[in-house]
Amino acid sequence: MQPPAASPGPAAPAGAELLRWQWREVQAPCLVAAWILVASLAKIVFHLSRKVTSIVPESCLLILLGLGLGGIVLAVAKKAEYQLEPNMFFLFLLPPIVLDSGYFMPSRLFFDNIGAILTYAVVGTLWNSFTTGTALWGLHRAGLMDPGIEAGLMDFLLFGSLISAVDPVAVLAVFEEVHVNETLFIIVFGESLLNDAVTVVLYKVFNSFVELGPAHIHATDYMKGVASFFLVSLGGTAVGLLFAFLLALITRFTKRVRIIEPLFVFLLAYIAYLAAEMVSLSSILAVTFCGICCKKYVEANISQKSRTTVKYTMKTLASSSETIIFMFLGISAVDTSKWAWDTALVLGTLFFILLFRAVGVVLQTCVLNRFRLIPLDRIDQVVMSYGGLRGAVAFALVILLDRAKVKAKDYFVATTIVVVFFTVIVQGLTIKPLVTWLKVKRSDHHKPTLNEELHEHAFDHILAAVEDIVGHHGFNHYWRDKWEQFDKKYLSQLLMRKSAYRLRDEIWDVYYKLNIRDAISFVDQGGHVLSAAKLALPSMPSRTSMSESSVTNLLRESGSGACLDLQVIDTVRSRRDKEDAAMHHVLRGSLYKPRRRYKASYSRHFISPDKQERQDKEIFRQNMKRRLETFKSTKHNVCSSKSKARLKEKGRKKKNISLPSDTPNGKTHRHVPWQEAAPVLVMVSSEEEESDSSETEREDDEGIVFIARATDEVLQGKTTPGSLDVCPSPCIIPPSPTLAEKELPWKGDQADLAVYVSSETTKIVPVDMQKAWNQSISSLESIASPPGIESGPQHRRFACPVLEEQPQSASQAMPEQSSCFQFPSHVSKSGRSQSDSSPDGAEQQELQPLMATEEQGRMLPAAEPRWLMFNRASHL
Amino acid sequence: MGSAHSVPAEMRELADRTGFTSEQIEHLHRRFKQLSRDQLTIRKENFDSIPDLEFNPIRGKIVHAFFDKRNLRQESDGLADEINFEDFLTIMSYFRPIEMNMDEEQLDRFRKEKLKFLFHMYDSDHDGKITLQEYRNVTYGPSCPVTTEFPAPALTRCLGPDQVYEGITFDDFLKMWQGIDIETKMHVRFLNMETIAHCY
Repeated sequence: MQPPAASPGPAAPAGAELLRWQWREVQAPCLVAAWILVASLAKIVFHLSRKVTSIVPESCLLILLGLGLGGIVLAVAKKAEYQLEPNMFFLFLLPPIVLDSGYFMPSRLFFDNIGAILTYAVVGTLWNSFTTGTALWGLHRAGLMDPGIEAGLMDFLLFGSLISAVDPVAVLAVFEEVHVNETLFIIVFGESLLNDAVTVVLYKVFNSFVELGPAHIHATDYMKGVASFFLVSLGGTAVGLLFAFLLALITRFTKRVRIIEPLFVFLLAYIAYLAAEMVSLSSILAVTFCGICCKKYVEANISQKSRTTVKYTMKTLASSSETIIFMFLGISAVDTSKWAWDTALVLGTLFFILLFRAVGVVLQTCVLNRFRLIPLDRIDQVVMSYGGLRGAVAFALVILLDRAKVKAKDYFVATTIVVVFFTVIVQGLTIKPLVTWLKVKRSDHHKPTLNEELHEHAFDHILAAVEDIVGHHGFNHYWRDKWEQFDKKYLSQLLMRKSAYRLRDEIWDVYYKLNIRDAISFVDQGGHVLSAAKLALPSMPSRTSMSESSVTNLLRESGSGACLDLQVIDTVRSRRDKEDAAMHHVLRGSLYKPRRRYKASYSRHFISPDKQERQDKEIFRQNMKRRLETFKSTKHNVCSSKSKARLKEKGRKKKNISLPSDTPNGKTHRHVPWQEAAPVLVMVSSEEEESDSSETEREDDEGIVFIARATDEVLQGKTTPGSLDVCPSPCIIPPSPTLAEKELPWKGDQADLAVYVSSETTKIVPVDMQKAWNQSISSLESIASPPGIESGPQHRRFACPVLEEQPQSASQAMPEQSSCFQFPSHVSKSGRSQSDSSPDGAEQQELQPLMATEEQGRMLPAAEPRWLMFNRASHL
Repeated sequence: MGSAHSVPAEMRELADRTGFTSEQIEHLHRRFKQLSRDQLTIRKENFDSIPDLEFNPIRGKIVHAFFDKRNLRQESDGLADEINFEDFLTIMSYFRPIEMNMDEEQLDRFRKEKLKFLFHMYDSDHDGKITLQEYRNVTYGPSCPVTTEFPAPALTRCLGPDQVYEGITFDDFLKMWQGIDIETKMHVRFLNMETIAHCY
């Protein structure tokens, strides 16, 4: 590389150049990138030590780092080159943070406490500004300050207005690490966001007053100030709402351009910010309300992937902005040319802001507590007063002051820097110990249970109704109820896709996700053992119990006699063979088999579903089926009738149902009557089926093909070859030849998965479950009724070859196991708690979900014990 | 303050029993008379005159709860045809907010009472058990669109492995609500002073 000195400006080119030094061209973006890189690297370094970050908030560390870097720059360049430019701050750094906090604002909590938040934001900030400004002015008049400070009342009020606003960036940075309870957090944080309007107005009004000079201020100017407050705050909110509406409306139509969905979110929010800034409305309010209001509709409209993208991008942007802000705060502080120190001013300001904040909080809380249902207690008030952190907004505002008009600017800058540093570093460092010491109620980080989520809604209705009856409306329930009616009737209809509106059943989402996770964790721990054990088991009794005269076994034998395949199983195979077979099934059952071949393609506009996702779904599918069989055994008789009805209902709902003709299976000729179970192909299109056929084209993340078989209790769901899946064939009497197909790899290869479940078919899954249960009763029966524990009635039942009897027999085989809905808790418990158990124990534990009952669990811990069992039984 | 010319002894007794202040009782009494059109009792039809209630999806359930004798007094069952003011207050007292000076035991009883009320609201056939359908009726309203079983896991989390699922008993219900601070959620504001004008 050539030295940078080689290109001193646009010199005349001396002939053709091989390379050119183009630092000038890339300077600005390069510096920005370098700073971000430095800050990000610094974050990595900070987090290398857990101890440091647990005590010192990141914002403190960043400020200190900034100080250090600024010092180095100063030492090298002899002048402070970089500082936090107000323009850069307000136009680029602040919006991402505000958008992030607005978009991810817990809106319910926010609106629950909106009264308190607004009071603190408006009254509190006004109080702080005026008292601080006046007190400082008094200090000045008393002659305690350096007489060199040329400032009148207006200057001090101006300074008071910019220094008294609680800063959202600082509050967020510190409170996120403190984890106080949500109410406290939302009040302080909401205040810091909403006080922007007040700060902006006060700042502008006082600024213009200072410029006018005290002599030229008329009464109308004060009136204008008041009016502009309402204009700025309400206008900002209105701009936010307008853009939220636009954004929601736009995302309604992005179905074909999924890839740019996230872009719309960012663009519109940013434009909202700029638009508000342009007409000097409160831009922070605009973005905050845009974020809060659009979220519900946007989330419902955009695809899952876009949701994730939006989330991560927003967090990344906000986090990097925050990092840069704090670092630059540190760097800017080094620039001593802008400093003018006055001890009295600095100490006075620090003292007054702390004092008046505390006084203000106590006074306002006194009033508010009369109206609040859950009053804010002493401790809350202490944290609230102490959590009033000042930050970069104050700094940027003070830098923006015009030195020609505000003579004392240098003093104010120095004081602001000290105040910001003090609040962020000292208060930030001490607030955590303080919170611990005061035993402030921390936020409990449990996710709402399903129960809670379900009841939240019911509760709203109940409370609203009781308020109606009492005849007095508290703000919350009444207006929430009204709003929800309005939302349901008009807004949601207008702003949400029809499909999203229809399927906006969050519980289903949760339920589905839980299941997927469950299934994956299940497989992670080696759920395949299950399949192997299960597959191996049925054949064993038939071998060991040959000598037994049990009816079942006679039946089995007769069945096997008719079937060549079963003979193959029953001939003694070498252990090696069996292992091979087991392994084959393990692999077949647990490994991912791509059914379709995806073209390796590059597209800028679409993202093909990634392999992991498909794999997850397939694993889920397979495991669900397997485990449902188990589950079913405990409750199938409860559900079988329901499932039928439900299936019919589904069938009615979905338009395109076709009944593909039954494919006779060469190998299962004997079961022809069973195969009358007609496969029902249910094609569920993901979007509005009614609208147009093109709508049914599958979205990349929501495609659905769903094939269900008509269920009939009588027909034990004999699987057709095309749709035979890994769950064991449900034949009971006699042990079906498909057993052989299972046992022997070379017999069962044609098996394929028939049930396609995708994210939006969640509602259909249960149908599928029911079916799977029905189908699998029989296989379970063969497990559940080994010769050793058979009792009289069961013998009779087994002896009776009438197939209709079978569901009952299965249920009666384990009458005391009918805790119907055991499955989710049971399985998930065993799934999660044992995730870290040793592989040894895992095998045993894996079987627990399979064996729904303790009895069976004892019976069949693994293949080996079972062997012993039967041997003993036969010796009896 | 309102005109405290009604029988003070009776008022005090009511206040003791329901935990309302006399002002609140007075206010509620005014509302009661408004609803009952100056009758001594309220019938179900009276609730139809509340315009805001019309859109509430589980309105039937809530109105039903007012006439549920289980909520009115101990050891009784069935539905009342009409309720007097005392009953009205009793029902309303289930929605009182917690007071700061309650001790643990009081709080526990308070919580149990609220849950009992909820339980009765769910258990529409008065058999002491909540079935799935009953549960769904409340959480979704009677026109529950999804005919599925999915709340089942929520219900069964609390069941032991060998418990037979037939419905949720009150004990199970208590278990379900463990860890959820119902006492901080289930309350409405009752007026202390007459500050609002009645519009209907």
